[in-house]
Amino acid sequence: MSADAAGPHPPLVRPSLVGVALAFASISSTSFGGGQKASIRRQVVSRGWMDQEVFMDGLELAQVLPGPNILNLAIYCGQKARGLPGAAAAFLGASIPPFIIILIAGALYFKFASNPYVHGGLRGCAVGALGLTLGNALELSWDERTDWVRIALLVSTAVVVSVLKMPLLLVLVVFGGIGVAHEYLRSRRKPKASQ
Amino acid sequence: MNPTLTTALHILWTFSQLSVLGFGGGKGIIPQMHRDVVVTYTWVTNDQFTQFYTIGKLVPGPTTIFAALIGYAAMPSQPLLGASIAAIGMFVPSSAIMVVVDLLWERFSASPWRPIISHGLAPAIVGLVWASVWTISHGTPSGIVPYAVTAIVAVLMLRTSLSAPLLIVLSGVVGIIALR
Repeated sequence: MSADAAGPHPPLVRPSLVGVALAFASISSTSFGGGQKASIRRQVVSRGWMDQEVFMDGLELAQVLPGPNILNLAIYCGQKARGLPGAAAAFLGASIPPFIIILIAGALYFKFASNPYVHGGLRGCAVGALGLTLGNALELSWDERTDWVRIALLVSTAVVVSVLKMPLLLVLVVFGGIGVAHEYLRSRRKPKASQ
Repeated sequence: MNPTLTTALHILWTFSQLSVLGFGGGKGIIPQMHRDVVVTYTWVTNDQFTQFYTIGKLVPGPTTIFAALIGYAAMPSQPLLGASIAAIGMFVPSSAIMVVVDLLWERFSASPWRPIISHGLAPAIVGLVWASVWTISHGTPSGIVPYAVTAIVAVLMLRTSLSAPLLIVLSGVVGIIALR
């Protein structure tokens, strides 16, 4: 653990477990999408739970591993601040409020979905969510445009999943595996490669 | 075996598998989740799947929390139990991986494999996001108005700073007027 208070940073603060849970509960119940990473950074770095470098390591790890980035990051911060109990407190704080909110939304859904106005509204909302997913796909694809191997992997993944219904595990092993191998060879060819 | 217990175990197993395969923040699991819960187990319809996904995007927190709504629908006699099991399956396995890897982190620190893995997996994840567009579209209405709204929302998302929930709500207003 990085508990060296002798460095240029102010001494680290050790939050209570309830404090950890409440901090992530307030972030997870009020913020959406990308804004959450900034909220978590403010929470943990500004309050001195850990220094910036440790936080940035966690952000990278949270994005590489499976699972929602925000939840992974919350668990990492809880664990760095208070060990395993801290990780558990962060998990509960970050997941219980969204769970309760979606249960309320679900109860309302099952009660009112057959009302024609609600039905129309939901169909409209679904079209909006489709548009967001399409925008997300376009945005992510733009980042891949410079490399023909990556474009070919992207297109073939989309086709085998949509048309041939290839299972997710196989997709990750085959197309993810080829992507990782390609990236590995590229990084060996030019050791100072981008990223 | 007791049918409630059987369903509960199927929910737990289905979402646990999706949880550990949820690379890229879980963006890539939508097509497989659809195949499991709509096609294989028929817990929800195409329209419900898309609408639950939409609600997941509308509320704060991770989108994949909409797994709870699928669990809710899968166990009509005990919806809270179904929702809880689905949420546990969706979030506990990936969280456990995070905890364990972080415990080993000091040894992995500065590993050259981290950028290679995350950058290498990206094309497959983006392909899966395109497949998700296809999957989600199974539960949306067809016609000039929905297609136009889809395109406009995509452009507004890319070109403006309007938030995702706001864009969904605005689309809902169009729906109340034009998609009843």
